[in-house]
Amino acid sequence: MTSISARRLGKELTEIKAEGCPVGINLVKADDFATWWFTIEVMGESLYQGEKYTLQFRFDSNYPISSPAVQFVVGDGKVSPVHPHVYSNGHICASILGNEWSPVLSVIAVCVTIQSMLASCKKKERPTDNDRYIRFAPDNPKKTRFHYDDDTV
Amino acid sequence: MSRRRIPTVDDLRVKLCYICREEELYDSKPEGPPRAWTHPCKCTLVAHESCLLKWIQTSQGDASRAPNALKCPQCGSQYELESQRPLILRLLGSGNRALGRMGRLFTLATAAGCVAVFTSGVYILFTAYGAYAIRKFIGREMYDILLTDDPANWPWTAFLNLPSLTLSLILSRFQSSHQIPTLIPLLLVWPPSTPVGARSPLSLYSSSLFTPSSLPAHHQPHWPPSPVVFGLFLVPLTRMVYRRCFGMLQYWLLGAQPPSARERDAGRGWVWQEGDVPWRIRIRANVDVVEPEQEQEQAQAQDVGDAQRHIEAQGELGEGDHANAPPEGIPAAEPQAQEPNAAAVEAAEQLIEIDTASLGRRVGGALLIPGISSAMGSLLYRLAKHSRALRQVLGVRPPLPGGAYLSPWAGMGLGMGIGGFGAGGGMEVRHWEGLGWVKRLGVTLRLILNATWHGTRTWAEADPVWWRNSIGLGLFVVAKDCIQLLHLWLAKRELESRHVKNRDFAGVDIKELDLVPSFPRDL
Repeated sequence: MTSISARRLGKELTEIKAEGCPVGINLVKADDFATWWFTIEVMGESLYQGEKYTLQFRFDSNYPISSPAVQFVVGDGKVSPVHPHVYSNGHICASILGNEWSPVLSVIAVCVTIQSMLASCKKKERPTDNDRYIRFAPDNPKKTRFHYDDDTV
Repeated sequence: MSRRRIPTVDDLRVKLCYICREEELYDSKPEGPPRAWTHPCKCTLVAHESCLLKWIQTSQGDASRAPNALKCPQCGSQYELESQRPLILRLLGSGNRALGRMGRLFTLATAAGCVAVFTSGVYILFTAYGAYAIRKFIGREMYDILLTDDPANWPWTAFLNLPSLTLSLILSRFQSSHQIPTLIPLLLVWPPSTPVGARSPLSLYSSSLFTPSSLPAHHQPHWPPSPVVFGLFLVPLTRMVYRRCFGMLQYWLLGAQPPSARERDAGRGWVWQEGDVPWRIRIRANVDVVEPEQEQEQAQAQDVGDAQRHIEAQGELGEGDHANAPPEGIPAAEPQAQEPNAAAVEAAEQLIEIDTASLGRRVGGALLIPGISSAMGSLLYRLAKHSRALRQVLGVRPPLPGGAYLSPWAGMGLGMGIGGFGAGGGMEVRHWEGLGWVKRLGVTLRLILNATWHGTRTWAEADPVWWRNSIGLGLFVVAKDCIQLLHLWLAKRELESRHVKNRDFAGVDIKELDLVPSFPRDL
């Protein structure tokens, strides 16, 4: 019997392939149940018009009980969006990826949330502690204890 | 049935677990054993009970997620858990939580305790050392009057002054390299207040002989000077004169100032600053590093030489007074002319300067000062037994008769005030003429302060151990400086007298040498 995480991811993947992703979101690769890549574009009027970013999901065997590790891919010509909640190493400070994660959310739901987070951005800037953070940041953003202080952006 | 039945999770055609996303149709048999379903909230979400329990359990294990563990992610309603929770489990649970809280408290208390023990250990050590330093410096007799060995007798100020004395003793060593005299004012401005000796403060002897009315001003001993006058004026003055004389000696002997002395003089911002006195003396010396502009500026205040010392005294009133610097010049030295000499002195100093900067040497040296001054003082005392003149200089007095400790209030009246003033004034007359008005004002203020300082009486009556200790320390510093200078001088002479021994070409093939034609080569 395959693990719960593999079965659930399998179902999510089937759904994505059957129904397609929401507008602006495209599956790049999902070769295994460990790492998936999506591209994200913000549709309509926004500060990120015409820009395309790659979002990476990493799952452990406890998914969906434990949240996926989600970050923007940086390197190989890919950059992370300049956003007050996105660090230049691609890490994202969003509560749904941390203490507000719930199994009711799905990979696509996370993509949509991130997309709307970008869409509602009013000023392109890095988090104030960006330089300090990226110097000591762990590889896995889930190991960071983010302090979620601003729900408006 | 007329009433409509309310559906439950079992009535759903398709059940989709919101956690694992497995589906179950009402009419299909699931593979494996049947799994219980639950509908825990007010919305449409349903889940396997096992999945939900796992989620709740995992969330509750994480402090940041625990508040959301029993909450539906969609409708936000609380899940209700039903379980076997007998009283005993609940008791154990709350007991465990209480223990946990106490444990945290205990950890905190332990840490605080460690810090407190360490701090108080250092504090006790510093205080004990401060008391030792005082005892060494002012002598046993006065120590027994002012402080005694029993901390129970100490005034509360002692518990602040003693440790800070130790601290300033050590710190004095880090301001600049040769600052021994810094501490003398510190030791002397020890609040010479209430005698705390256990014996009766006002004996018949003292009350009959030294009542305020029977003690006119001129009965106060005029020698040695009062400690305050000594610490505030004599010490800086002596040091100033001594430094200049020693500098001249050094210059005469070495032909240049040692680099360390130059650095020291140039780098000295302030020499000492005494706590509650609005008075600060700054000594800045510019030896052969005078800029042309500075030279002009200073030429007005001083008289000779481009190597000048510039003594500046300023009160906290913000007023400087340049005129009171005794005009005196160091032998004029042309910077160019003395270059080679200075280089030689520097080299010599490097030779003998091995580890004067080491921490242990500095701190240890600072802590030895009271011991040294006490030893030197008792040496002087022993010598004084054979010389009347020395005895007078040192102001040696017989110990106070037993029980003759003066009450702090005995001389508090007008008589004491005048007495203190008289003693201080008598000492200062010599210097008074040379002082600028700012300093005069300072001295006057100082003397008024002095006069109200009731403890001065005690200092004036007792055998002035502090006086001979100070002189002893001064002599020690002089001796130390002289030995250092001798060492420097010898090292410099050794460097200058060095020659490399010249050899002939014995053993070298003569054909390989390009020799003068006149060299006889007929061999």
